[in-house]
Amino acid sequence: MIERAVHRPATDRVRRPRRSLAVLALAIAAALAAPRLGRADVTAECDFIEFSATSGDKPAIDGELQQLEKKLKKPPFSTWNQFKLLARSHKALAKKKPEPISLKNGSATATLVEIVDKSKVRLTVTMDDAKGKQVANNTATVEAGDYVIYVHSLPRNEGHLLSVSCK
Amino acid sequence: MSRPSTPSDLELMAHADGEHDDPELAARFDGDADARAKLDAIQQLGELVRGHLELSADDVHDAKFAAMWRRIDGQLVAPATGLWSRVSAWFDRYRSHVITGAISAGAVAALALVLRPGTTDLAAHAIDVRPVAQRAAPEIDSLETPGGSSTVISLADDDSNAAVIWVTPDESDAEEI
Repeated sequence: MIERAVHRPATDRVRRPRRSLAVLALAIAAALAAPRLGRADVTAECDFIEFSATSGDKPAIDGELQQLEKKLKKPPFSTWNQFKLLARSHKALAKKKPEPISLKNGSATATLVEIVDKSKVRLTVTMDDAKGKQVANNTATVEAGDYVIYVHSLPRNEGHLLSVSCK
Repeated sequence: MSRPSTPSDLELMAHADGEHDDPELAARFDGDADARAKLDAIQQLGELVRGHLELSADDVHDAKFAAMWRRIDGQLVAPATGLWSRVSAWFDRYRSHVITGAISAGAVAALALVLRPGTTDLAAHAIDVRPVAQRAAPEIDSLETPGGSSTVISLADDDSNAAVIWVTPDESDAEEI
């Protein structure tokens, strides 16, 4: 009976968990650190505003286009006096990952190529019309807060416009 | 010389118990057959009593040890029938190790987060929005307008700069639209 107590593998029971707990500690540390690596991916927050332009008796600019209002009253936009919001979306663009932009008329994609000098974004934007025909495929380098405005001139003095701005 | 007197019962018991080993007393037992017979009887009775007590003690010890080991075995090998009971039994047994491990893991993770080289989240997402006066005009790196012609116009005001890409469809495309 007494020998039984002496030979009991008590040390095994203590040592094995310590080893496995050390592994557990490392695993938890790795798990906590891993999402951080993922979050460190380069992104840019971009706004896409799709709107139409026509000429009418009375000037009318949608309230949601207020940030562009000053520009829309100047040439070349002054050929129109009515601007109507069609769609608006906000996207976080990941570097070199094309992001589809849903438009009311046609479609578009935007890809963040890179961030330049910490204050500019280099973007590639493609814009297709309602028939799926490509209107423009453009890469531009723009300061954060500035705009690239794509204008597709349509018959009957109408316009289909897409404004892109990133921060 | 007078004959040695007969030992008293008290002296007999003391001698039988080994408490009184006086040679003179021993000589008196040798010379007295009755005393010798009494002494032998007392010693035999004592042996019997001691033997019985020892045997009883052995029985008691075995029973006690058996009960003790049953209790210890019951605690060491819990009646783990299901997975959950085995898991909870494991945690009961190694609670302190688990807590120590968790605290160590937290410390390691905190160190890893603090000491890890590279950019922080803010740095990864932050794009400096400079004052308009310090901004460069948008640059067109490449532009394709299949099925149409394009004009690039730069606009600037005190709010922001803009590059306007004006696409005019070719006449054949314009007719389709």
